[in-house]
Amino acid sequence: MDLAPVIDGFGVVLEPVNLLYCLIGVVIGMLVGVLPGLGPAATIAILLPITFEIEAVSAVIMLAGIFYGAQYGGTITSVLLRLPGEASSVVTVFDGHALARQGRAGTALGIAAIGSFVGGTVSVIALSFLAPLVASFALDFGPPEYTALALLGILLVSTISSGSRLKALIAAGLGLLLAVVGRDAFTGTERFTFGSLDLADGLDFVPIAMGLFGLGEILHNLEQRHRAIHAPTEIHDVWPSRQDLKQSSGAIGRGSVLGFFLGILPGGGAVMASLAAYAVEKRRSQHPERFGQGAVEGVAAPETANNAAATSSFIPLLTLGIPANATMAVIFGALLIQGIRPGPQLVEQNPELFWGVVNSMYIGNVLLLIMSIPLVGLFVRILRVRPAVLAPITVLITLIGAYTVNNSVFDIILVIAFGALGYLMKKAGFDPGPLVLAFVLGALLEESLRRSLLLFDGDPTGFLTRPISGVLFLALVIVAFLPAIRSLLSAREKEPVG
Amino acid sequence: MARTRTWISSALAASLLLTACGGNLGSGSDDEAADFPDGKAITVYVGQDPGGSTDLIARALAEEVKNELDVAVTVENKPGANGALAAQELAGKTADGHTLMIYNGSLAYITPLAVPEGEAPDIADYDIVTGISQDDYVLVAAADSGLKTMDDLKGLGKAVKFGTTGVGTGSQLSQELLFAQAGIESTAVPFDGGSPTLTAVLGGQVDVGSIQLGEAVEQIEAGELTPIVTFASERVSYLPDTPTAVEAGYDAPVQQSRAVFAPKGTPTEVIDTLADAFGKAFGAESYQKFNEDNQLTPNEVDGEALRQQWTENLDSYRTVTEEHQIDLGGDQ
Repeated sequence: MDLAPVIDGFGVVLEPVNLLYCLIGVVIGMLVGVLPGLGPAATIAILLPITFEIEAVSAVIMLAGIFYGAQYGGTITSVLLRLPGEASSVVTVFDGHALARQGRAGTALGIAAIGSFVGGTVSVIALSFLAPLVASFALDFGPPEYTALALLGILLVSTISSGSRLKALIAAGLGLLLAVVGRDAFTGTERFTFGSLDLADGLDFVPIAMGLFGLGEILHNLEQRHRAIHAPTEIHDVWPSRQDLKQSSGAIGRGSVLGFFLGILPGGGAVMASLAAYAVEKRRSQHPERFGQGAVEGVAAPETANNAAATSSFIPLLTLGIPANATMAVIFGALLIQGIRPGPQLVEQNPELFWGVVNSMYIGNVLLLIMSIPLVGLFVRILRVRPAVLAPITVLITLIGAYTVNNSVFDIILVIAFGALGYLMKKAGFDPGPLVLAFVLGALLEESLRRSLLLFDGDPTGFLTRPISGVLFLALVIVAFLPAIRSLLSAREKEPVG
Repeated sequence: MARTRTWISSALAASLLLTACGGNLGSGSDDEAADFPDGKAITVYVGQDPGGSTDLIARALAEEVKNELDVAVTVENKPGANGALAAQELAGKTADGHTLMIYNGSLAYITPLAVPEGEAPDIADYDIVTGISQDDYVLVAAADSGLKTMDDLKGLGKAVKFGTTGVGTGSQLSQELLFAQAGIESTAVPFDGGSPTLTAVLGGQVDVGSIQLGEAVEQIEAGELTPIVTFASERVSYLPDTPTAVEAGYDAPVQQSRAVFAPKGTPTEVIDTLADAFGKAFGAESYQKFNEDNQLTPNEVDGEALRQQWTENLDSYRTVTEEHQIDLGGDQ
């Protein structure tokens, strides 16, 4: 492996500007991690237009920082307030808050920070080796392979999502439908454009993401009742004892590996990784009854895994141009705004961007480790900012931002329309994530499928005779039957665990 | 908020002034044309995304024209429908020379062949300040495919799969014309822009592709891509050993071309002032280096000559596509 670009990448990160954006990113990330409701996808979507004015490398370094920073921040409220700031910290509540009630909140936060750091760092190292490898045979990824990957991503996101499977499928279906709007890329025929030139190129991803994630979440949050928050601002003994470390070292190791692999999967990501890591630890433990009563491993495993997954989910994006989850889809949008198309050529043609972003994650993780412990009290205080103050400011920033991307008033209308849709979806218990991801992957799916059929002269068996696409289609069949397999597994699992 | 208020008050002042001027409006606008640009900023629309060739050209020129006219010249990207969206917007602006657009030739003479009649804007609805430059297309194959000449393609023994940078682009038209005239059976596979097309050719997903020279030159020099023919009218100075399609015996000259457009009815004096400023910009050393670095061939003709070039292109493409029954739109 040629190390020169990797080292140059460190040079890029260590430029003061980029260090600053890395710091800004992780601080914002921790903040939104602490604030329940506003997730990283929403924040990144709202900040998208701002990145327009920044150098591409700095922009992505900052947005990546928000993503993995949020994984740290989400822990704090889970432990202290029994209020998960992020979906990926939901399982941390069980043991984290139990520990806090025993007066060991410091230990829980300390273990979580160490686990997050280890998971994040292990994942970046693996990413550094794996990503160029994937990119090196990425030229073999033609339209048929992209067809299979897009299909796999859409299927995974709708079957493995945390909520109702039916609702996720409906949302993904809606995303696919929205993706067909615009001039047909193969014939020039207009589809659902109603004669408007604004729609000729299809709906733009950025206003959709800003509306669904940004505006939609803000509106929905306003409706929530906000109880007064009484959080301890004094946290003691954040350095875990030797025994705590010993107890959780296995969990941190397994969480790193598990998180890394679940993060790469299309449709996977931090939420899935944290759930899986918790389940694995509980199953392996000789005293599963301790889980939920303040087991240190119960905090270490999900917190390690969600950080590892947050990092590794950059692999499919940066090497194949396929976003693995909704947040990656938004970062994909950020790269497109910068005129950079993520894909197989990125590592080769834009090494300073690729390695700059990857290496910034080492720095970001160190920054987070340093900040997360002494600043806990400060972050908790932020929860006291009234949504009535925060919401109007955010809405204003969102709308101004939406206009500046394409200088288009039509985009503002789109943001408002999709904001309303996002609000209604949340209210009805639909996650907008599958919609956004299906929208991005839908265009890829349609174009790759039609391109493939042109290449195969219309013969669909071509998909199965190419080695990579053949394997991917096999994986697809497995995923399609996954719900059945899972219910079979969980039926067996219930007997010994009870 | 403060800005809005200033804006309202100046609008009020302007309307008061207009009322005061009464019947003198006509002569007033003549003075305005003579004083152009009178310290007021110029906006240049680009119908493509930031970072693309058209955008880079616009920004390189804006820098020079700004110094020439001593007013701010801002480039505003309004991407959509290969520039049709920006063109539509331009048509609705006041014809005072303060709103211009870098117009792509493909929108003028290729898009009309690909979309239903009346959907593509007509260049007759605009005034033209000046031509800018031309960008050549080159037919490339992956080096490891062993394809080097048109004869290699004829002897392939199967239908040639060719990658295009999209429907209604010069990339598609050039190859459709070439293969139809060469009697080579072929299938078009459209991709979304130059970079994905390049990747597909390099990865052997398609046999050949037609790509703008500036986007392929790096891989050609690295020996990863073999240039087969260019679609230029004369041998391209950057590729002296590659024949043009015309030299190879096929009537398929296809180029991307760019020009500065203004809304119809812009006063002649204003057009002249602008053309003069752009002319000086073309002479600037940094701009000439920009052209060289990006493999752009200057085409700095005046507005009328450019209109004639593009109209002739549209007519000849229409004739030749009809002759060979090429349908750029519903072609699959």
